[in-house]
Amino acid sequence: MLADMISRHREAFAPGASTELRAQRNLRRQVSLLKGNLVTNMRTDTKGVGARVYQDGIYGFASAAELNDDAVRKVLKSATENAAFLAGHAGRGAEPLPAIRRGEGPRQPDFTDLPQKHYIDYLTELDEHIQKTYPNLESRTLITSSDSMEKLLTTSDGLSSHILAPRSYVYVFLSANAADGAPVEVFQPFGGRGTFDTRFTDPKDLHEPIDQLYQMLMQKREGVYARAGQHTVILAGELAGMLAHEAVGHTVEADLVLGGSVAGPMLNKQVASELVSMTDFAHSAFGETAPLPVYVDDEGVEAQDALLIDRGILKGYMHNRQSAQHFGMAPQGNARAWLFSDEPLIRMRNTAVHPGQDKLSDMIASVDDGYYLLHTGNGQADSTGEFMFGITMGYEIKQGKLGRAIRDTTISGVAFEMLKSVTMVSDQMSWNSSGFCGKKQMMPVGLGGPELKCRLTIGGK
Amino acid sequence: MTTYEAAALALSGLTDTGAGMCSARARVSEKREFTVDSGRFSLLRTTFDKGLDLTLIKDHRRGKVAGNDLSGEGIKKAVQDCLLSAQSASPDEAWQLYPGTQDRFTQGTPEGDTEKLFQRTRELLDTIKQEYPKVMVEQMIVSHDRVESVYLNNLGADYRTLAGDYGLFITVSGHEGDKTSSFNFTGFSTDSLEKPFIELADLRQTLEDIGRQIDTVAPEDKYEGTVVFTPGCAADILESLISTFAGDGGLLDGTSPWKDKLGARVADQRLTLRIAPHDPAVVCGERYLDDGRLSQDYDLIKDGVLQQFMLSSYVANKIGLPPAPSASFSVIMPAGDQSFADILRCIDRGLLVSRFSGGSPASNGDFSGVAKNSFLIKKGQVGPAVSETMISGNLGDMLNHVRGISRETVQDGWRVLPWIAVDGIVISGK
Repeated sequence: MLADMISRHREAFAPGASTELRAQRNLRRQVSLLKGNLVTNMRTDTKGVGARVYQDGIYGFASAAELNDDAVRKVLKSATENAAFLAGHAGRGAEPLPAIRRGEGPRQPDFTDLPQKHYIDYLTELDEHIQKTYPNLESRTLITSSDSMEKLLTTSDGLSSHILAPRSYVYVFLSANAADGAPVEVFQPFGGRGTFDTRFTDPKDLHEPIDQLYQMLMQKREGVYARAGQHTVILAGELAGMLAHEAVGHTVEADLVLGGSVAGPMLNKQVASELVSMTDFAHSAFGETAPLPVYVDDEGVEAQDALLIDRGILKGYMHNRQSAQHFGMAPQGNARAWLFSDEPLIRMRNTAVHPGQDKLSDMIASVDDGYYLLHTGNGQADSTGEFMFGITMGYEIKQGKLGRAIRDTTISGVAFEMLKSVTMVSDQMSWNSSGFCGKKQMMPVGLGGPELKCRLTIGGK
Repeated sequence: MTTYEAAALALSGLTDTGAGMCSARARVSEKREFTVDSGRFSLLRTTFDKGLDLTLIKDHRRGKVAGNDLSGEGIKKAVQDCLLSAQSASPDEAWQLYPGTQDRFTQGTPEGDTEKLFQRTRELLDTIKQEYPKVMVEQMIVSHDRVESVYLNNLGADYRTLAGDYGLFITVSGHEGDKTSSFNFTGFSTDSLEKPFIELADLRQTLEDIGRQIDTVAPEDKYEGTVVFTPGCAADILESLISTFAGDGGLLDGTSPWKDKLGARVADQRLTLRIAPHDPAVVCGERYLDDGRLSQDYDLIKDGVLQQFMLSSYVANKIGLPPAPSASFSVIMPAGDQSFADILRCIDRGLLVSRFSGGSPASNGDFSGVAKNSFLIKKGQVGPAVSETMISGNLGDMLNHVRGISRETVQDGWRVLPWIAVDGIVISGK
């Protein structure tokens, strides 16, 4: 773990300004096999120190790709000069930021940085199993990716902390040709927080879920194109989570609210069916540790849950210290940075729709003509809440029963309209944390939800 | 230690492992960056960064590491890590580095002017406030980047680069009362602060359009029509198309619809797509590839005929084809012979699409997604902006159904592209 080489520099913080000093190391280990070819065999290790100084309503930031006392002095000086430059040219005359709780954040355990051979051997064994078991595949791609963020933080007025957040995944892509010759593909990530050796002890553990994925591929080979237009659909938890993150979460990030997002005028108004509640969880959710727990953010704020929608009413935004001051609310630990050279931005942590009381089987039985949408490849939304998700696996629902699989399609809608159409919410949760959110910087995020019955637009063909 | 000394030390360490082929790239960079949030300056950021990228091929086994520690100890550790990675890999004779030359490159504007950059940025904010009062600058990132890098390999390549450019990336939305448009974004790279930013790339057009996208109509019908992609949107579509049809993945796994089309017609004969990192319109274009070759401009498609795949040397060796002469995506599409207005005039029904928000295309090129920041076209006229409108089609088919390519182009420092009109796109409303 990083040795504390920043605390002793607190005395050099600029008087009268709010200062954060962060030392950070990011590791990433990637291996990928495409049809058995080792096309990626990569280890990335970046480290350095960054400082941010708040003065007169604006920030100065500086970073250096070294971890030593000279680098710390250099970034403190440069960040202070940057704050002075910008304050001199475009200062806002703002008040100092309100005080936050001081102290120490919780310590987290060290972890083992595995050699590359560990990842290659695991993936090779899994690939050989797939090749042998499913000879009719057109192509297969297996990827392992492990990343970790380690941060040492000390601030002029918040919690000092030492954070270590590893996560590990195996991504499996399988493809085959349909009867019409068109290639079809299915994809599933496996894994979560923790190091690779704790998450993946034996490749055989993935045989059963990969077999389920293969069965989906075989169904998709025989699949049909979805019909374009508005339909009643059941969104699986993965899609409910994507909706929570992309279509609602981003619109209630306070910096985007200030930028004019659709959520600005909607605070304390109904934006969803009263069956819908949504929270950005800090480190625990529904009695368990959240997928990617955050205990202290990069402004030194103790992380707490941010309730976004309560029974259909928009109740809050996600903040950094500056936006919280603007709105007269409390910051809840959403300011996070990806690399040592990045400034903290307002980011989601573990954003989820709360589970309801319906059984999935009852939900499917209630649909006369619609779709059950299971997996998504990607999603985007904008400040109006209009969203688009690529659908990579789904089924028709005919007269209350699951029917044929569907080919890849796209769904779209406007979040605050679509959420009002929710009529059933299942009693089970599923989480996904395998991706990155992109908002100037990358950031690992968790997202989740139950199944939702609603109406939205399908792209079809 | 200088950047060259760091690269040389790393290469020496890699060579000492007994590697048959190896390369080291060391980089020292500095960024000065202003952030504007909600129309106001919020941050000045300086980053002093470093980078080290090592590749080692030993007994046909390849390892790669990337880091940012250029100290002697850090380089030693990175070399060891790279060796262990290679030793863990399975052998594959397709991995290759190439002999190189000694070349020096100076590109763009290595030394930035922070004060003038601030003044140009403030000038742009003032212009937007005065001329486009309905437009909110949600975020704007304006920066100067200076990069000094050295690439060495054990086959004689010795490339030393000093480069710098100014970059702008802006996200805007239109507002009137509680009504808001979708956001849109644009940006550019430039080596000069001589011109006001409002005059560069498609910034003024983007600002004009976003103010007209606050009120939208949501069509309810579905039809096959003509879509005109703006240059910015065309760049995204073309990148997706090239990656799916001509890139490594689809050709290595054999799913690319173009796998047997080299030398064959794949597009309308008016269409030429050139990858040209040396084009004068490209600021700080690629000068060499990671495998040691010097970059060269090339035609991907010429007069509708597929001339070259965009293959890395690894995949090229695997499937027995030549590697692409450049790894960049500096796309230059020659202008067409019709004005944008003339192209519009001939369209009976369709959309002018500035941004496409869609899922990844299927490997056969089928795509569908939402037409964002888009306007209806009816009987040759641009009509109201649309919302909740999806478009779908096939990327490969699109190239064979080109209605027109505009005479006007947009240069953003990375690419040069015209407006492209395509028939046969399915447009479906709510």
